[in-house]
Amino acid sequence: MARIRIDEVEYEVKDGLSILQAMDDLGLLMNGVDVPHYCWHPKLSVDGSCRLCQVEIEGIPKLQIACNTPVRDGMVIRTKTERVEDARRGVMELLLLNHPLDCPICDQAGECKLQDYAFDYGVKHARTDLPRRPAKKSFDLGPTIVFDQERCILCRRCVRFCREVSKTGELGVFQRGEQSLLETFPGTQLDNPYSMNVADICPVGALTTKDFRFKIRVWFLDDVPSVCNQCARGCNIHAGRSNNRVYRYVPRRNDAVNQTWMCDFGRLSYKQLTQDRCIAARVRGAETKYDEAVAAAGLALRTARENGGRVVGIASPFAANEDLFVLRRLLETLGADPATFTVQRWQGDDILIRDEHCPNAAGARALGFSESDEPLERADVALILGPVPAGRLERVQTRILIATHEVPANAGAEIVLPARTHAEYEGSFTNFEGHVQRFAPFLEPTFECWSFGDVLSQIARAAELTGWDRAYDVGRTSRELAAAVPAFTGASLDRLGLQGAELIR
Amino acid sequence: MLIQPFTTHYLSEHYGDDAYRTLAGYESRGGFKGLRAALQREPEEVIELVKSSGLRGRGGAGFNTGLKWSFMPKGDERTKVLVCNGDESEPGSFKDRLIMERGAFQILEGLLIAAWATGSQKSFISIRGVYKYPIECVRAAVNEMYARGYLGRDIFGEPGFHHDVVVHSGAGAYICGEETGLLESLEGKKGQPRKKPPFPAQHGAFGLPTTVNNIETFAHVPFILSRGVDWFRGFGTDKSPGTTLFGVSGHVERPGLFELPLGTPLGAIIEQAGGVRGGRALKAVIPGGMSMPVLTPSDLDVPMAEEFLSERGTHLGTGGVMVMDDTTCMVRAACVVSYFFRDESCGQCTQCREGTGWIHKLCQRIEAGRGRPGDLTLLENVPGMMEGQTICAFADAAAWPIKGLLRHFRHEFEQHIHDQCCPFPESFEL
Repeated sequence: MARIRIDEVEYEVKDGLSILQAMDDLGLLMNGVDVPHYCWHPKLSVDGSCRLCQVEIEGIPKLQIACNTPVRDGMVIRTKTERVEDARRGVMELLLLNHPLDCPICDQAGECKLQDYAFDYGVKHARTDLPRRPAKKSFDLGPTIVFDQERCILCRRCVRFCREVSKTGELGVFQRGEQSLLETFPGTQLDNPYSMNVADICPVGALTTKDFRFKIRVWFLDDVPSVCNQCARGCNIHAGRSNNRVYRYVPRRNDAVNQTWMCDFGRLSYKQLTQDRCIAARVRGAETKYDEAVAAAGLALRTARENGGRVVGIASPFAANEDLFVLRRLLETLGADPATFTVQRWQGDDILIRDEHCPNAAGARALGFSESDEPLERADVALILGPVPAGRLERVQTRILIATHEVPANAGAEIVLPARTHAEYEGSFTNFEGHVQRFAPFLEPTFECWSFGDVLSQIARAAELTGWDRAYDVGRTSRELAAAVPAFTGASLDRLGLQGAELIR
Repeated sequence: MLIQPFTTHYLSEHYGDDAYRTLAGYESRGGFKGLRAALQREPEEVIELVKSSGLRGRGGAGFNTGLKWSFMPKGDERTKVLVCNGDESEPGSFKDRLIMERGAFQILEGLLIAAWATGSQKSFISIRGVYKYPIECVRAAVNEMYARGYLGRDIFGEPGFHHDVVVHSGAGAYICGEETGLLESLEGKKGQPRKKPPFPAQHGAFGLPTTVNNIETFAHVPFILSRGVDWFRGFGTDKSPGTTLFGVSGHVERPGLFELPLGTPLGAIIEQAGGVRGGRALKAVIPGGMSMPVLTPSDLDVPMAEEFLSERGTHLGTGGVMVMDDTTCMVRAACVVSYFFRDESCGQCTQCREGTGWIHKLCQRIEAGRGRPGDLTLLENVPGMMEGQTICAFADAAAWPIKGLLRHFRHEFEQHIHDQCCPFPESFEL
């Protein structure tokens, strides 16, 4: 450990860190201690070229860059001196020398570090009217990213991202000096499963995603913390919402899960939240009111129970831990076997994407459910949390399906009840490493639907089962889950926070 | 072809002698005495000896060579590497070229002494790509050394003393002469200086402990070993011992190389070069290659050694003396200098990438008769924004000459702006 002083306040930090890294670990960076920076990124190698993070260190005559200066015990660092401020003003002035002042038509405005730092640390007026260096305006670097070469400040975060994280290395800085230009290598384009992260880390409006640019000004967006539901990683996200509509997902930092990244597929999965939704409750093909479909499901369960019929549960790896806990209790009440579930798989990688193309298979396993693709044996009633597992339901007499999305196979269910997506309710997923993460609603559904757990509770009540007379409450359910299942101890929603908690094994 | 400097001392004594370019000829003229003397000593002793000789690096920064060698880690299992910097890209500097052509064995002997002292097993001699003939000469010398068993394994009768030399043709950029820019270039990457830490002694070429020295630096080393520290200190000044090859260029009667002791007065060097051409008056002298601030006729008395030049606000650099007579327009000089640095900046650091371009545009505008009163304030400020704030010293090298020109010739810049034209019609063409 090293004791360092930053602006007269003493801190204890790990040895071997750079000053910026140490500040970042302390949670101080741009959050108490301002050391503006462009090229440095907590999850990329140090470049040391933007020179904005210069600080004064006692005993060293020249200013030093905080990103590449290792902390030493007893180091005294100053970030607010006249010299430091002069140096920052100099860097800002030089960066703005060739950067177009086109903020009014730039999509980065509002979340642009050049704009922000120019206000906070820069000079108000340009001291020259020399023409700016011309460069190419908006052109495609690949299928996902548009590049405005004039706006690029050559911090090379994107270059390092492609070399170090996606390991595809499509980008480089070509030419030298004032002529330096970011480009893709000849004959290649920026096309990899993580390409859109470069737009997040681009501090300026040079790299923007085709998907989001010019859709909405960022200051109209609320960033709601949530979790991606496309694979077993569960990348932490901010959902950018405005007027009950999602405009984008951007990754939210969680060093235990996704660092600061997410894959392009997950990023674009927000579109699925509104596409092909299951919107109408149905009983034997006929649209009904929600209550009537719930009543029909309740009746089917009660009848089966009274007649000693067999009830089976099919869990969904897309449902929350709380939903699955409700299913488990319901099956217990009915004296049925634990549910099974089916996992769809795709090709994962060794970066973020996992083979399991669903967010909560680990949660289902932790609740005692098992994975199966086998057709079910003869049953009277199946309680199915969608999506419908292909070919497993042939020998079931009454299929009660609770589903978020409409797929052709839904037509085989006798009773269909629309369910909320994870964007529309609160709950938690357990990722492949046993990390339990909370998601919160950021959309209000435009038709009647309820979370899986809520619908199951309603059906149980309609079936007049004992112990099911209270209305569903996710907070209470999650506390009950934490109390009833040892693996989930301490993992109730009110204790998960923004970074999640580990499942107890 | 330039074969011999106009004045010689120990270093270039035999440069006119073709036999000196063969291994046998080199050895019969005292070659490898220095190395053999070094092998009689412990490596640490050799480092101490070179340190006490006061030999300063001849590549521009003038750092104590022995001290640099002592930074190489001891007890490190990794292969240690020496890099000989033959990039010689400083405008006004052309001394290393002659050493490579006429004294290649001196370089190799110096390298082997350094290898013994630092425990290095491998050397790279990186020579700027356009130096086709010097590359040929050094390659030939290396081949002859291998054929004679002077390179390779267990050389000079010392079991365990292995050394291999690779001659590398540089890809060509000013910045590839910067210590770590050269290492990047040597590794096949874009020539861009590395941030420090880590320093080359810990993490240099290919991640191995590395020491980089200039061609001329290595060439001096054998003499220190063979003739002794006291003899070496007989040349030059107390803080800058030895001789150096001053390269005099520009408006002189007899441009060329002059081996003279460090501390020789600037005026005497220009005298040796036949004085200012056509008997014209001297206006300005760049003392150490283009990145060094100018001196004026009042500085002709300055002894050409770092400790005296730094008192006058400039540096010895590579000893490339560039003389300008009274026809020279100093704003045009600033245009040339700023063009060069704008063109050669690697473009990593903000200040250097943007500042070099800004300075050049301002100089051009003033020279073209479109300067504005505020431009001089900018020309003073922008170099200050660059200096001392970047990964390598390139930004300093780009800033200093402009600051120097403004310090001594501000009135010329003012005149350009006032008259809205260049008042020196006879000056060199841009």
